[in-house]
Amino acid sequence: MLPNEIQWYFPTNLNEAIKLINQQGVILHAGGTRILKTQTQSIKGLVDIDALKLNYIRRKNKVFHIGAGVTFGDIVKYSRQTENLKMLEASLSKAASTPLRNRITIGGSIKDFPLWSSLYAPLIALDAKINLIDKKNYTLSIEEYVTKGIIKTKHIIKEIIVPSEEHLKWGVKRFSLIRFEYPLFNIAVSFQMNEDIVRNAKLVITGVHGRFKRFKKAENIFAGEKLSQELIEKAGKFINPKFISDYKYSANYKEKIAKVYFKDVLTEIAGRE
Amino acid sequence: MFNYVNKPIEKIDGLALVTGNEFYTDDFNFKGMLHVSILHSGFAHAIIEDLDDSAARKIPGVIEVLYYKNVNQILYTTAGQGYPEPSPYDTFLFGKVMRFIGDNVCAVAAETKEIADAALKKIKVKYKRLKPVLDFEKAENSKVIIHKEDGAFPKIPVFYDASKNLPAKVEANVGNFDDAYQNSSKKIEQTFYTPYASHCAIEPHTSVSYIDNRGRLVIISSTQVPFHVRRIVSHVAEIPISQIRVIKPRIGGGFGGKQEVLLEPIVALITWKTKRPAKLSLSRKEVFKSTRTRHQFRTIFRVGYEDNGKINAFHLDALENSGGYGSHALTVLSNAGSKTLPLLNKIENIRFTGKSVYTNLPCGGAYRGYGATEAYFGFGQIIDMICENTKLDIIEYYKKWSIKSGETSPIFKALGEGKEGVAMTITSTSLEQCLDTGAKDFNWYEKRNIYGPNSALNKNNRYKKGVGMAALMQGSGIPEIDMASAYIKMNDDGSFNLHVGATDIGTGSDTILAQIAAEVLDTPVEKIIVNSSDTDNTPFDVGAYASSTTYLSGKAVQKCAEKVKAQILKVGSEILNLSLDKIEIKNNKVVLKKSGIQQERSEISFEDICRYAFYQNNQFQIQATASHVSPKSPPPFAAHFAEIEVDTFTGIIKVLNYLAAVDCGTPINITLAEGQTEGAIVNGMAYALFEDYYFSPSGKLLNDTFGKYGMFTAGDVPPIKVKLIESYEETGPFGAKSISEININGPLPAIANAFYNATGKRLFKAPFIPEYVLNILNS
Amino acid sequence: MKINFNINSESKNLDVKSNETLLEVLRNNGYTEVKCGCNEGECGACLVLLDGKPVNSCQVLAMSVRNKEIKTVKGIGTLFSPHIIQKIFAKVGADQCGFCSPGMVIASYSLLKENPNPTYIEIVEGLDGNLCRCTGYVKIIEAVEESAELINKRIKAE
Repeated sequence: MLPNEIQWYFPTNLNEAIKLINQQGVILHAGGTRILKTQTQSIKGLVDIDALKLNYIRRKNKVFHIGAGVTFGDIVKYSRQTENLKMLEASLSKAASTPLRNRITIGGSIKDFPLWSSLYAPLIALDAKINLIDKKNYTLSIEEYVTKGIIKTKHIIKEIIVPSEEHLKWGVKRFSLIRFEYPLFNIAVSFQMNEDIVRNAKLVITGVHGRFKRFKKAENIFAGEKLSQELIEKAGKFINPKFISDYKYSANYKEKIAKVYFKDVLTEIAGRE
Repeated sequence: MFNYVNKPIEKIDGLALVTGNEFYTDDFNFKGMLHVSILHSGFAHAIIEDLDDSAARKIPGVIEVLYYKNVNQILYTTAGQGYPEPSPYDTFLFGKVMRFIGDNVCAVAAETKEIADAALKKIKVKYKRLKPVLDFEKAENSKVIIHKEDGAFPKIPVFYDASKNLPAKVEANVGNFDDAYQNSSKKIEQTFYTPYASHCAIEPHTSVSYIDNRGRLVIISSTQVPFHVRRIVSHVAEIPISQIRVIKPRIGGGFGGKQEVLLEPIVALITWKTKRPAKLSLSRKEVFKSTRTRHQFRTIFRVGYEDNGKINAFHLDALENSGGYGSHALTVLSNAGSKTLPLLNKIENIRFTGKSVYTNLPCGGAYRGYGATEAYFGFGQIIDMICENTKLDIIEYYKKWSIKSGETSPIFKALGEGKEGVAMTITSTSLEQCLDTGAKDFNWYEKRNIYGPNSALNKNNRYKKGVGMAALMQGSGIPEIDMASAYIKMNDDGSFNLHVGATDIGTGSDTILAQIAAEVLDTPVEKIIVNSSDTDNTPFDVGAYASSTTYLSGKAVQKCAEKVKAQILKVGSEILNLSLDKIEIKNNKVVLKKSGIQQERSEISFEDICRYAFYQNNQFQIQATASHVSPKSPPPFAAHFAEIEVDTFTGIIKVLNYLAAVDCGTPINITLAEGQTEGAIVNGMAYALFEDYYFSPSGKLLNDTFGKYGMFTAGDVPPIKVKLIESYEETGPFGAKSISEININGPLPAIANAFYNATGKRLFKAPFIPEYVLNILNS
Repeated sequence: MKINFNINSESKNLDVKSNETLLEVLRNNGYTEVKCGCNEGECGACLVLLDGKPVNSCQVLAMSVRNKEIKTVKGIGTLFSPHIIQKIFAKVGADQCGFCSPGMVIASYSLLKENPNPTYIEIVEGLDGNLCRCTGYVKIIEAVEESAELINKRIKAE
């Protein structure tokens, strides 16, 4: 159980909220699933984000603005009625379970970044950006958010900005044996296309040692070229994810399968019209 | 042919269950109820040198702490079995020696669960750590003795040697194995391993107790064995049986995991001491690590046979990992042989050798299949290997060599459950039709023709497909040991109260027992009001295990209903002034057998019969009791077929299709029989593909949540077809046998054989996790 | 403190501790139809509808859903007034021990509301948060399919 003297706050604006979480032991409460899992006794206060009205999805020009309070379930439902957000839908619709997807929020999932995350790989592959508030209000790429350590600081995520999928060829794949599982890894591949030439490639995997990895050498092999099986074989030599062994699977096995799955995804994309 | 039996009748508690109206143990709350938390051992093997509960007791709201200093050290077995139990008395309720991570150190009872949990942290325990035994293959000759000088003993005169860490040893011999094996022209010797598993009943173990208005102890518990609970609590808590009442409400599944007396003595002692109600509900983590599991097994088969497929000599050697305590050790071990070997009863030279070992790991107990599941993994593959080596058709092989009606097997007598077995002749089987119908519906022969490791379809294909099958048997109750009884009384609207000790654990036994009574009395099922599993109000029944309820409890109900029927006819005869041979029961009435006889009154309703008997003349309560013990345990039979696809790049096996053709005699309720089959198959599939216990180097269970352990959801289940192929078991109620366990035995051998068909390689270790499979493929 | 909820269309003012889950609050206030199977958000026995969407009540902190609309399985249908889905579940044998049934009914109800004509894949996706160890899911899926058919027939008839 969580400590029973927790103070609840329901701020109606972001400035109020950011002041609150700067207190010792006070953290944000979005869907609550991670708080209950970590069960830390050091929590003194919970700042509920519901009244901050961050549960919007707006499309503006060629980008989607997705509020931090939007749940995985919300995104899947929204994407089924619209075009060009399908990569996120494909990855998130398999995450966790229906009732959990109704609570897991974008903001919460980004801040926590569990190893089995289904969110990070597509976001990186889509070149998504995060708009957040700490001392100031600013936007940065999701990769920088992690690599620059912002993820560890006290801040409030307001929204993510996801480019729409025009001219994008993509694929996602995860390793899990059964539907309800914490996937060993998530793969996301995206190709920004100019007709049938690849302008820009992103090959991403999460769940690895170091949390996520982009295979830039492999990406460069695709840049400026047409997709072909030959290219996939060539690029494959530079796709070498590193894992840690756990009690179920050895690092060696995970690495082998990740390579197989990357090849599967790439081959499938290349085989499409 | 039947009016109420062999029909898809809706469960009598169905609507109440789906509207959330039924009560499970945790739904009961009493004023002033204490909440109990258990402190579990964090060491696999340790002696408690001292325990100081003073700091815990100081916390406001902490009412009682139970541990070795204030709990009488009385040896017992937690196994819910008939008395005297065939499991060793090797457990103390709160002892000084901790024998696995999860063993019980002490219990705290407090005003709220939160306080009880907080109090656990204040219990000061001084442990002396001992070396643990964590490898069951090294337990027997280990210098570390797990039950050392604690006085543990076998309750019945069977082998027990704690000095060698052996809670059980079994041996059965028929003919002369050694010679016959030596002289066989072909031989197979192969070792197989099956893993630990958790029952994963969705309702966690829960027990509640309180003192009733007259000072008796009442226990409400999620149990499969209410009468054994009463007896064992009496023994451990030293309360007379007459002062204890045990009630089983609805329970959320058992599968053998609740055939164990674990929580009840704890709440009983707390309530008896404090005179306050107490509730203990285990968390899911606690269920995984500290209750019971499926035993881990190693089976070694040595088979000598000929080119024509005749098996001359069959040796099954089983090594069973009992964990820290030996509940069900002997009986599960025995069943590994007794539920497999008789299937091919023409083998003249059989040896069964089995040993159960203590280890400092979670304890094995009863789990659906009960030893048969673990042994069929190897058994079903050995037969497949023989057919492969002799180029025989496996369907024809089983048809030829399996046990037939009128036949027996020497194993029935040779392998009992603690005492000598019981010789038995098969009086019902449709196994041949199961094999034929199953093969036909599954397109077995067509698939065998197009699959195979070197087929055009599979060769050079990343995804290889194959089909495999296995024939199975189980039992129906424990012969000459298990007893069931029933009581029926009539009401003055023509309805009946049916009281049975039989325990509905989700199986729907309340319903099928009502159907059986309804069939005898020719009255709708709605007119049978069932009250079950209350040791004050219902007559004795061993409980829900050994697939005994339909066959045994059902027969008791049938016998009881026949007696009631006789009384009804007698009253009817009196009222109608007709001799008994002229009347019969039909549709809630006593009627003239033949019309044509002119009578003022040719029929009388059940309602009028009962009113007459209650109020008018020669008054008596129409009521009867009956008990039943069976001299035999007629096996159900089944033929299972699996079609799989394996991704040879990842080792992931996917089951594409599954078919089970099942002989349970007369299925009393078709819907429920199908449901039991489907559920058992899906459980068996998950067990074959990934279920296992992963331990840290110190013996701690690592995958102790549903998410980490792995559970199928609806989207993981392949198409499953169930064909009930009826036979008629004359000793069972309306021809019925059992169905609840047998089908969990099929997936392991069927999937393994399908894997061989797909790849030409065999899986000798379960579960078939992808990394292991990939290693086999690349070997 | 006392918090307002709307439970099964009734306004309720309940005692809620700051660290209590919605499951605890519901079960402590007589809503025992909401079951606890794991308390970890993995089995679905504790499913309720929160503002119309299925959630694991064991993973929801009660304070965060004050004033919201909550429906338990009894808000969908009761013993004397069962919903079609419940009647079909009972009829086809989709309930054995029944412990997962309230959660399954909630998931099915929510699924069919969103998607009255679900494909097989959509059905099993809608049930992906509900564990059952008794049935093997076979008759549960049948029950959802049959319920969909019946509900659609009834809608057409009206």
